[in-house]
Amino acid sequence: MIAESGHYALVLALALALIQSTLPILGARWRDFALMNVARSAALAQLLFVAASFAALVTLHATSDFSVVNVFENSHSLKPMIYKITGVWGNHEGSMLLWVFILALFGGLVAAFGNNLPLSLRAHVLAVQAWIASAFYLFILITSNPFLRIANPPIEGRDLNPVLQDIGLAVHPPMLYLGYVGFSISFSFAVAALIEGRIDAAWARWVRPWTLVAWIFLTLGIAMGSYWAYYELGWGGWWFWDPVENASLMPWLAGTALLHSAVVMEKRNALKIWTILLSILTFSLSLLGTFLVRSGVLTSVHAFATDPTRGVFILLILCVFIGGSLTLYAWRASALKQGGLFAPISREGALVLNNLFLTTACATVFIGTLYPLALEVLTGDKISVGAPFFNLTFAPLFVPLLIALPFGPLLAWKRGDLLGAAQRLSAAGIAALIAIAVLWAWTRGGSAFAPLAIGLAVFVVAGALSDLAERTGVFRMPFGTAMRRSRGLPRSTWGTAFAHAGVGIALIGIVCETTWNSEYIGSMKPNDTTEIAGYELKLAGVTQRQGPNFRETVAQFAVSLDGKPLSTMMPSKRNFTTRASSTTEAALLTRGASQLYISLGEAAADGAIAVRIYHKPLVLLIWFGPVLMAFGGMLSLSDRRLRVGAPKPAKAMRGLQAAE
Amino acid sequence: MMLWFVFALMTAAAVFAVLWPLSRHGRLQKDGSEAAVYKDQLTEIDRDVAAGLIASSEAAAARVEISRRLLAAADNQRDRPFVSSISLRRSAAVIALVGLPIAAIALYLPLGSPWLGDFPLAQRARAPEVTQPLDSLVAQVEQHLEKNPTDGRGWNVLAPVLARLGRYDEAVRAYRSSITYNGDSAERRADLGEALAAAASGVITAEAKAEFERALALNADQVKASYFLGVAAEQDGRAAEAASIWRAMLAKAPTDAPWRPLVQAALARVDGSAPALSDDIVAAAKDMNDTDRGAMIRGMVERLASRLKQNGDDVEGWLRLVRAYIVMGDRDKAKSALTDARQAVAYDAERLRQLNEGLKNLGLNG
Amino acid sequence: MTRKQRRLTIIGGSLGVLAVAAALVLNAMRDSIVFFSTPSMVAEKHVQPGKRFRLGGLVQPGSLVRGDNLAVTFSVADGSATLPVAYKGILPDLFREGQGVVAEGALDPSGVFKADTVLAKHDETYMPREVADALKKQGHWKDDYGAKPDYNAGAEGGSRAAQTVAPAKQGSLQ
Repeated sequence: MIAESGHYALVLALALALIQSTLPILGARWRDFALMNVARSAALAQLLFVAASFAALVTLHATSDFSVVNVFENSHSLKPMIYKITGVWGNHEGSMLLWVFILALFGGLVAAFGNNLPLSLRAHVLAVQAWIASAFYLFILITSNPFLRIANPPIEGRDLNPVLQDIGLAVHPPMLYLGYVGFSISFSFAVAALIEGRIDAAWARWVRPWTLVAWIFLTLGIAMGSYWAYYELGWGGWWFWDPVENASLMPWLAGTALLHSAVVMEKRNALKIWTILLSILTFSLSLLGTFLVRSGVLTSVHAFATDPTRGVFILLILCVFIGGSLTLYAWRASALKQGGLFAPISREGALVLNNLFLTTACATVFIGTLYPLALEVLTGDKISVGAPFFNLTFAPLFVPLLIALPFGPLLAWKRGDLLGAAQRLSAAGIAALIAIAVLWAWTRGGSAFAPLAIGLAVFVVAGALSDLAERTGVFRMPFGTAMRRSRGLPRSTWGTAFAHAGVGIALIGIVCETTWNSEYIGSMKPNDTTEIAGYELKLAGVTQRQGPNFRETVAQFAVSLDGKPLSTMMPSKRNFTTRASSTTEAALLTRGASQLYISLGEAAADGAIAVRIYHKPLVLLIWFGPVLMAFGGMLSLSDRRLRVGAPKPAKAMRGLQAAE
Repeated sequence: MMLWFVFALMTAAAVFAVLWPLSRHGRLQKDGSEAAVYKDQLTEIDRDVAAGLIASSEAAAARVEISRRLLAAADNQRDRPFVSSISLRRSAAVIALVGLPIAAIALYLPLGSPWLGDFPLAQRARAPEVTQPLDSLVAQVEQHLEKNPTDGRGWNVLAPVLARLGRYDEAVRAYRSSITYNGDSAERRADLGEALAAAASGVITAEAKAEFERALALNADQVKASYFLGVAAEQDGRAAEAASIWRAMLAKAPTDAPWRPLVQAALARVDGSAPALSDDIVAAAKDMNDTDRGAMIRGMVERLASRLKQNGDDVEGWLRLVRAYIVMGDRDKAKSALTDARQAVAYDAERLRQLNEGLKNLGLNG
Repeated sequence: MTRKQRRLTIIGGSLGVLAVAAALVLNAMRDSIVFFSTPSMVAEKHVQPGKRFRLGGLVQPGSLVRGDNLAVTFSVADGSATLPVAYKGILPDLFREGQGVVAEGALDPSGVFKADTVLAKHDETYMPREVADALKKQGHWKDDYGAKPDYNAGAEGGSRAAQTVAPAKQGSLQ
């Protein structure tokens, strides 16, 4: 009954989506408010039904109902409850259901909190949203139905892929999906604007909070996925330029560009057509990401099942939505009123530069990811494009972007003063030079690249700080005045500074980890010791342990620094009997922002065990940076000006008085 | 019935979601407008000026710009006003009332399985199952034996049950314990041998063969042991020896012995053109899919190879191994097996001659 | 600056960045791309020692030899040819004999493939795509790899039949 109700709820959601995708558009055409309002209640009801459907699947997994194929294939009664639940979206069908659930969630949020939108715009946005939803409901029901049944249920399930049996999986895909799918809203807004044939600065204000929400989740999702790969896959890498990772990076780059161009559009009513295009491209790249993962066209470390019929269906969805929206764009964009032009040296100019570099970087990732596919189709040659390609293309494009980054917030709208901005950045520049000099002296004989890159990162962080200092006047004015000014500062200004500082901090982590990472790979017997980066590690013993659904070999390492014992690290290797497979559980020891990392390999017959030990200096900054960026995004989101809902002038007046 | 009631409720809720906005005719709810955004932007500029974030000249320019947008937006607002037509609403309502349930049912019926209930594990664990009493009985006996491992009678009961459940490795252990605590007997040795053979997927391993021989040493008339020694001979390719064992059994057996037909069938099998594998194994293999069959054959060949490594005197066995590798298309392994065979029988001229003769028959000369 | 000049500045800047990016991409394409081969393709094409490529195929059963200090050798086969591979380091969790594998590295003068990276398949139905394609071409592909079973089609076949051979006689012998 739960299974069938969940199934039926999904079918009803599709029926509602079909209605939601047609009636409101007809309503807007005939200017009938009742028909347009159908969008709203239909979106909310759709959310209700998809949520019920998702809840049903979660319940089925939690109760181990093996009469459902999806549960039978991906669960096991002995699995811990938390993994029974995360297993819901650890497989293809369940993850697609999560995808549409999030899609419906965003649609429902627009319906519930979109009071400040003009009625016809809201109707159009929700209708476009329902087109996407209908396509994906059909995809799920026809090619990847999670509610198919087995008449004679087996006694036991087939377990979850043990590599995916990790708490990282509980949060990483939902985060990523919140990001991917969140961009559907800006896509819907863009298509709605094209249909209405009208776009202005207000549009950017409405679309920005949604873009920001999606961007925050995508940022966190990517960071979390990277950390998950780092500790779960057992070879200490945190970014592999794997197609699936690139698939999430591309929408992030385009989405970041979109965030910035929307600011220009909101403030200066310029870059309108470009912003529309970016909205379409960002979501198209998100769809492409779904396609790349789902269709299995790419060899990749990610373990989702592959099935060509699904691939063809998603390819069809992709063609219809990307092709359709771009055609609409080509047809209608010329009819939209052009925005104003501006001086190259200005805040707008800096943001255009930002957009230029971000989209170009995105394009290089796109080429690197899809070129092997294209080549195979054209010539049959199979090639792989790995890290060296991206290091040679992506990195050089980011250098000028980062150099320009601190200047942006310091330039005024319309006509900027580059010299003035440079003067105000002199402190940041000096800090960067000092950092370069110190590192140069410290690592004499090492590569020149690392100190320069860290100097750049310091410049970005210090630039963000000097922007704040400039605005609050903390070094120019009495402390009390500065405090008052800092309270009066819009939260989005704080958000910008945090997000920009986050970029620099992540860069410091990346450079330190890649340059000064030290590793030991070898086999050790009990009581062997090895030394790495000043730490002494002694293999105290190897023991066997029985887990809930696996057996594990655990090694104990006694870690000491300068003869003083610090801690014990216990990496392990797990064997899962049901799948006859094993996973490596790395042990991490965090010291400040640096980490010691141990993972185990095979045990040899003579009692020796293969180990990999890494010391990764400042590695945590790699993920702390994105967290800081996301925090900055949240600060911006909490800014009154971006708050979703009807603007409240009365409250704004009170805020004004408080600031005086 | 309950399920259809739930479906009906859900459909009703979906239909209601569409009908509800259609039924509300008064003035539409408040909606946002561009003008509101621009007004908001104007207050923002005031605030920024007050906080000293922008200069008053910049603020004035910005105000002019925003006011221009405000005017443009106000122009746009004077579009056609919103209307609401009864006929449109009626047709929409009809779509919702008729189309939605029809679409939902038409989609659901070919995909769903409404006749299937839920089968959560907890509920099924409570339900009685055919194998469960036996399983729990075994578990009880096992628990008992864990505490009293010297109870020979318990092992005696447990061992055949385990063998029948297909838990051969455990059965082997149980038979061994039974022999330890109940004393040696021809029957127990024969049973142990049979369990060993079953654990090896029906191949009479050297270990199993030793048990059958011990059983016969204890009681020369032990039927099972004799039969299986015949099978062992057959599996090793010594068809004549197998036939003579079985013939001797039939000669000694009473006419009404229940196992006569089985032995006769076995005899008929080897008297013909003795196949390398026993018929029932081949028959069993026929029922399998390719992968399983391949795995089974590989398993048997590997066991044969490991047996020959321990005891290399068996010329027929070597020939069988070489033949198996050739059939499997693994000529390299066949060659290396050949070399091993030559080394193993090198000290015995008679066997070496047999080997070379056999190889000639296989079409291998060196 | 006039309107036209501003526009030109922006368009010129964009084109400049794009040109730089295109140059970077073309340069990287020349140096940092590796091709995929199977053992028989290696045999046919006489790949030069020292040229990096990705080798894919199945790990030949029985070929895995572990040496001292994490050195391993194994053979990769694709049905018609095999190629010995030497690797030093920890093999992935899912590396197994008889299973698909992709190794990256180059041939040494003696014809041994020196791998510096070994990737294994990630679950039992998943096979590196290149390996699957190559095996299909060689005719070694079984269509049931990764195919979806139909659970309602009937009881599972007698895969355990072999194990029941001996006990089947039990009844008649006692």
